[in-house]
Amino acid sequence: MSDTCTDRLSDYLDDELPVAERAEVEAHLATCRDCSTALDELRAVVALAGSLQPRPPATDLWPGIEPRLSTSGQEGNLTPFRERASRRFSFTVPQIAAAGIALMVMSGGGVWLLQNGGRATSMPPVAATTVPERNAVVPAALADPRYDEAIADLEEALTAGRGDLDPATVKVLESNLAAIDKAIAESRAALEADPANVYLNSHLADARQRKLALLRRAASLVGGKT
Amino acid sequence: MEALALQSPVVPVPAASAIPLDAVARAAKGDARAFEELYRAHLPRVHSLVRRMTAGRDADELTQDVFVRLWQKIGSFRGDSSFSTWLHRLAVNVVIERFRTDQVRRKRLHDGENIFEMLPAPAQTRDLGMDFEAALEKLPDGAREIFVLHDVEGYKHHEIATLLEISAGTSKAQLHRARMMLRKHLK
Repeated sequence: MSDTCTDRLSDYLDDELPVAERAEVEAHLATCRDCSTALDELRAVVALAGSLQPRPPATDLWPGIEPRLSTSGQEGNLTPFRERASRRFSFTVPQIAAAGIALMVMSGGGVWLLQNGGRATSMPPVAATTVPERNAVVPAALADPRYDEAIADLEEALTAGRGDLDPATVKVLESNLAAIDKAIAESRAALEADPANVYLNSHLADARQRKLALLRRAASLVGGKT
Repeated sequence: MEALALQSPVVPVPAASAIPLDAVARAAKGDARAFEELYRAHLPRVHSLVRRMTAGRDADELTQDVFVRLWQKIGSFRGDSSFSTWLHRLAVNVVIERFRTDQVRRKRLHDGENIFEMLPAPAQTRDLGMDFEAALEKLPDGAREIFVLHDVEGYKHHEIATLLEISAGTSKAQLHRARMMLRKHLK
């Protein structure tokens, strides 16, 4: 088997060789069993690659996408996301009562946030608003304990009222929160190795904002139904 | 987004029955229900593309990023190519943007000297497709990305070179190395 030949087998297979080189390879293949076998194997690899079938993920990813749509907006569209609120959640009368409790709990958390942390939507960005020296960027996880406390309070309250909520509603909320928590955890882990990475800081800030938005949105959806 | 203007239509359009004809237009106007229909129809193919390019690392999160980006950009779809092709180019760009945050990956792509030392394990199950997917994950990053783009998704070398900011020669060399590694897996 010739390295010179095998190095050209993929180009030969893809018909990327000039005519003269192609003729050289073909002449070699006619006399070299190893290279001929290698070509057949490469052909099988290409065929198998082309026959791979798409597979869906193990879990539905929509719960992690939908909350982000309302905050992402669309380029050239000033009225995004019109229909989602009335469709994603539906409540019976007992569920509305239970959801009312959740609304009170979450509203309390919102008040706490307002009193202790300024406007809930004014959470400081992960990186400083002024451009710091590269080594001075501080990950959000270490920079905003009030946010973490507020989230913890809301999560604790939701846990306490979990049994009173419709299981389907709880499932949706938990699925959303799990997806966001996963993103936060991964961003934090990555930032430990590269704390000055602007992308990672931005990603973490976005995930934390999404978590807060999800909790607040759940409250507003419940409120919209009562 | 320059990469979206590349020419090669690569990915077959999913079954027409799976996608309402006006779903793209409705989603572009802010209809989240229509957007979810598009998500359902395209999720397997987009997730498979992301998973194969990343060897499964952060595949779920990146796929979510793709669909959020789609929501933001869907208004710019003009129908010059099929929606499926356009979406997959967008997905490739999202993945590559993530890659670019990883400086080590770039180095791997250009080094590739020890690629034959990382041979995939031989087949262990009877599902050849699953075995092949597992073998793909064991390829070095650069070789895997180019193999997936070229042999699975159908991109041309000059397109891959533009997307990954490498030469077409590097793309060809990495593709050949990936194939040579994978052929051992089939023996």
